[in-house]
Amino acid sequence: MGKNQLPKDFENFADARKEGFLKIKNLKDQGVKVVGTFCTYTPVEVIMASGAVSVGICSFSDETIPDAERVLPRNLCPLIKSSYGFALTEKCPYMYFSDLLVGETTCDGKKKMYELLGELKDMHVMQLPQTQTDEISKEMWYREVLALKARVEADFGVEITDEDIRAAIRLKNEERKLLKELYELSKACPPPISGAEQLKVLYGSQFKFDYEAKLQELREIIDKIRQDYAKGERPVPESAKRILITGCPLAGATEKVVTAIEESGGVVVGYENCIGAKTVDKLVDENEEPYKALADRYLQIGCSVMTPDHNRFELLERLIDEFKVDGVVEMTLQACHTYAVETESLRRVVQGKGIPFISVETDYSAADTAQLKNRLAAFLEMMA
Amino acid sequence: MMKKSFIGIDSGSTMCKAVLFQDSRPVDVLISKTGWNPKVSARQNADLLLERNRLAPEDVVFAATGYGRESLDFTEHVFTEIICHAFGGMHLVPKVQGVIDIGGQDSKVIRISNGKVVDFLMNDKCAAGTGRFLSMACESLGIELANIDGFVNLEEFTPINSMCAVFAESEIIGLLSTGTDRSKIMAGVLQSIAQRIRQMIERLGFSPGAPLLMTGGLSRSKALLEAIAKAAGLEIITHAYAPYAGALGACICAQQRVAAG
Ligand code: SF4
Ligand code: SF4
Repeated sequence: MGKNQLPKDFENFADARKEGFLKIKNLKDQGVKVVGTFCTYTPVEVIMASGAVSVGICSFSDETIPDAERVLPRNLCPLIKSSYGFALTEKCPYMYFSDLLVGETTCDGKKKMYELLGELKDMHVMQLPQTQTDEISKEMWYREVLALKARVEADFGVEITDEDIRAAIRLKNEERKLLKELYELSKACPPPISGAEQLKVLYGSQFKFDYEAKLQELREIIDKIRQDYAKGERPVPESAKRILITGCPLAGATEKVVTAIEESGGVVVGYENCIGAKTVDKLVDENEEPYKALADRYLQIGCSVMTPDHNRFELLERLIDEFKVDGVVEMTLQACHTYAVETESLRRVVQGKGIPFISVETDYSAADTAQLKNRLAAFLEMMA
Repeated sequence: MMKKSFIGIDSGSTMCKAVLFQDSRPVDVLISKTGWNPKVSARQNADLLLERNRLAPEDVVFAATGYGRESLDFTEHVFTEIICHAFGGMHLVPKVQGVIDIGGQDSKVIRISNGKVVDFLMNDKCAAGTGRFLSMACESLGIELANIDGFVNLEEFTPINSMCAVFAESEIIGLLSTGTDRSKIMAGVLQSIAQRIRQMIERLGFSPGAPLLMTGGLSRSKALLEAIAKAAGLEIITHAYAPYAGALGACICAQQRVAAG
C-alpha cells in the first residue's frame, strides 16, 4: 500500500472518459437516455432528475478539426470546431449515443455552430442572458430552466417530480463539495498533488455515471492524499512556484500548458476554469424553490461571455489569496474573442494585486509546444 | 572550491554567441554562425574560449540559453532568453527599465524594475517584427543586413502594409516592379518593425526617464534603434556588448544559482 497506490487512483480518473464509452453503451442498452452538454451553464440537475445521464461533450482534441473545417471557418475556436467535427464524423461515442444535446447562447461561435449541429442531432438551445444582476435576466434564465425541464420531459416521456429535482440537486451538491474538498487540498504548501493530477480528477469525474460510486471514490482519493501527506510524503517540492490557471476550458490537448508549467519548476494549485473551481465553487441552495435555486446559481457563473464579468474576477481574486498563488497563467484558445478581449481587464486585476500574470494563446495542435514551454519557463524564472 | 569562471552560450537561430565571465565581468566574447547543428557550434565556441584563455573545462561552469539551449550536452545550467537578456542587459547598463531583443525567430520586450524582471511580451507566432522579416526584406532588396544604416533615410519611406512576412515579400517585389526606390522600401521595412515593437512596448507601460536597452545582433543598426525610439517616444540605447547580452545573462544567472547553492 501507500506510495504506489496513489498514482493508480489518479489513473482511475484519467481513464474515466475512455471507460465511460462502454458504460454509456450499456446504459443505452438498458434504455437510459443520454444528454450531451457543452457548457458549465447547463443545469445538469434537470437532466439527472429526469433519469437521464448527462455527459460533457466539449471536445479537446484536434482529431476532427480538418473534417469540421469543411463546413466551419478555419479562424474559429478549436473547441467549437472540434466539437462539431466529432458530431460530423460520429467519432465521439458520447456525442453518438446522445439522445439530446443541450447548448446555450454563450459566445457567437458556439451559438451559430449549434444551428448546424441541430441538423445532425436533436438540439435544445437555452437562451443565456449576457448580464447577471438585473431582474429581467434572472427572470429570463429561470424561464429557460423551466423550458429545459419541459423539453426533457417531453422528449423522454417522463415527469420530473419535486422530489426528483430536489434529490438531483442534493446529489450534485455532494459531488461539488467533494471536488472542492479535493482541489482545496492544494491550499497546502507544498500541495499534496500536482496540477496534472488535480485536473485528472476534475475532468475524469464528469465521465463517471454511477453517482454513488463516484462520490465514494472521491472520498477515498481525498482521504488517501490526506493520509500520505500526514505521513510526510511531499511529492511536490516546497520551492515550486504556485500557479493558478484561468481562461478558456482546459483539458486534453491543452494540458500541454499544465505540462509546460510543471516541467519548468511550477506547480498548478488551482484552476479558475470550466473544468475547475468555476463549476464547483458554489452550491445550489437546497432550501429554495428548486428551479429558482438552479437558475440563480447557474446564472452567477463567471465567464467572459458575460458583461460585465465581475464574478470571474471575484472568484479569481479569492483563489489567489486562499491558495497563496505566486503567479497567474491565462490560457486563451485561438479566435476566442470574449476571453482575448477580457485579458486586458484580467491583467489589471491580477497585476493590481501585485501578482505576476501571463496570458498565452494556443490551439489543439502540438505545434506550439516548444514556444509555450519557452514562455512559461521564462514566466517562472521571472518569479524565481 | 567554488568555480569563479563561467561560460555562457546563447545558441540562437542564426548566430551562436559565447561569453567568458570572470570576477563578475565579461572578459572574452565570441560569435559564430549557429549552422544546422547547434551542438557543434556551441561546443566549438566554448572550446575556443577555453583554449585562448588557458582554461580547462573543469575550471568553468557552463550555462546555456537561446533556441538551441536544450540540445547542448555540456551545459549544467539552462535559462530562457527572457531572463538572460534581462540580466545581461542590466549588467551592461544598470539603469535600464527594459530590454528589447529582436531575434531571428522572435522578438521580445522585457520590463525591469528594481533589478528584477516584472513583465515581458514575446512575439513568436509570426515573423513580422523579427529578424527573419528583416533578412527577408534585405534579400529581396539585395542589401546586406550589415549595411542597412548606410542605405536608408528614415524620413523618406514607403509604408509596408503587410504584417505577414510572406505577403510583405510580395508587396516589396510589387513596389520594386513599379520602380520604387530601394532605400525608401528599406526604410519602410524598418518603420514596420518599429511599429510592431512599439505596440509591445506600449502594452508593458514604460515611463519616460530611464532608457531601454536593445540587445541582440540587430542592436548594431542605428537606424532601427532610431525608428523604434521615435515610434515609442522613449530613449533606446545600445552597448558594444549588446549582441552578447543573452550569453552574458546566462553566466550571471548561473553565478546566482551557484551562489544560492
Ligand atoms: S468558458 Fe464560458 S462559454 Fe465556455 S464552457 Fe465555460 S462557461 Fe461555457
Ligand atoms: S473558448 Fe471562447 S470561443 Fe471557444 S467556445 Fe468557449 S467562449 Fe466560445
